[in-house]
Amino acid sequence: MHDIYDFVSGPMVWVSLIIFAAGCIYRFISMALLAKEKDPFLYNYMSPYHALRSIFHWLTPFGSENMRKNPVFTIVAFSFHICVVIAPLFLFAHIILIKQSWNVSWWFISDTMADIMTLIVIASCVFFLIRRIVRPEVKFLTSASDYIILAMVAAPFITGFWTYHQFAGCRIMGIIHILSGEILLAAIPFTRLSHMIFFPISRGYIGSEFGAIRHAKDW
Amino acid sequence: MRKKTWVLCSVIVLSIIFLFVTAYSQDNIKYVQDPAFTKRMRPAAVFNHDEHNENASIDDCSTCHHFYKDKVKVENETSEDMKCSECHKIDKDPVPLINKYHLRCKGCHEQEKAGPLMCSECHVK
Repeated sequence: MHDIYDFVSGPMVWVSLIIFAAGCIYRFISMALLAKEKDPFLYNYMSPYHALRSIFHWLTPFGSENMRKNPVFTIVAFSFHICVVIAPLFLFAHIILIKQSWNVSWWFISDTMADIMTLIVIASCVFFLIRRIVRPEVKFLTSASDYIILAMVAAPFITGFWTYHQFAGCRIMGIIHILSGEILLAAIPFTRLSHMIFFPISRGYIGSEFGAIRHAKDW
Repeated sequence: MRKKTWVLCSVIVLSIIFLFVTAYSQDNIKYVQDPAFTKRMRPAAVFNHDEHNENASIDDCSTCHHFYKDKVKVENETSEDMKCSECHKIDKDPVPLINKYHLRCKGCHEQEKAGPLMCSECHVK
């Protein structure tokens, strides 16, 4: 158990962090070069004012027409994204582990709050899964990889909840928790989860084209 | 009758003293509990003092109960009568003291490749 724990909490953390960081930089640069080669007009049309205006509207709950048309989805999507980022970054146990390893720490949320946020993430994942199966327009666009990505996102939260509450087999679940978090982090740049880095670019471009060229709203 | 009352009183008083002595003696330490932590995030860490030190073959008290003066460890001096928080003070933020405890316990377990490492193994619910 010591060797497994040392491995997943030591070298594997570095491997996943490096894949995540280097992957993000690589994907960003290669996408920028591809755009320069295939769609050079993208650079000419980019307008920071219109880009930021569009990003701001799409980051505001019910800030776009589409969000107002699908209120349930909007609420679930926003709560999911807030919790999926805040819960792991400000979890007390994670702060302690980071302090132990790198001697840095920051503000943390209460365990009750983290528990609620974790349940919101898990419930949202179930919602997204059902939506993919039930809604024909979403089902049409769904491939196997979408289900795998959904499972990859849910896994660290399910195993984390399990470990925290010390349900049966929580020690092995703790190992799976660490591993699943690392897999998720490393997968971000190379899957659809890369919308984390590309969201501002794609939204910014659409905002620029609609705002500066067509003089229309894109929200 | 008088003698009986005396014996009874003595037995009661002695057993109370015994109870207090054993309750507050080192022998009975079963958890790591520092009163400096006013708000507890997790259940106190399970720590059976004597059993632990026997298993780990720790004879030198200063292994854990070290004493530092001007940032230098004083040899042959120990600090069993002190709380860790007397030196490792909490200044609003409890994280540095929590970290000291974790480094003391988990750090040693990692070094020795023995003993619990994961949260749930010490902070048992």
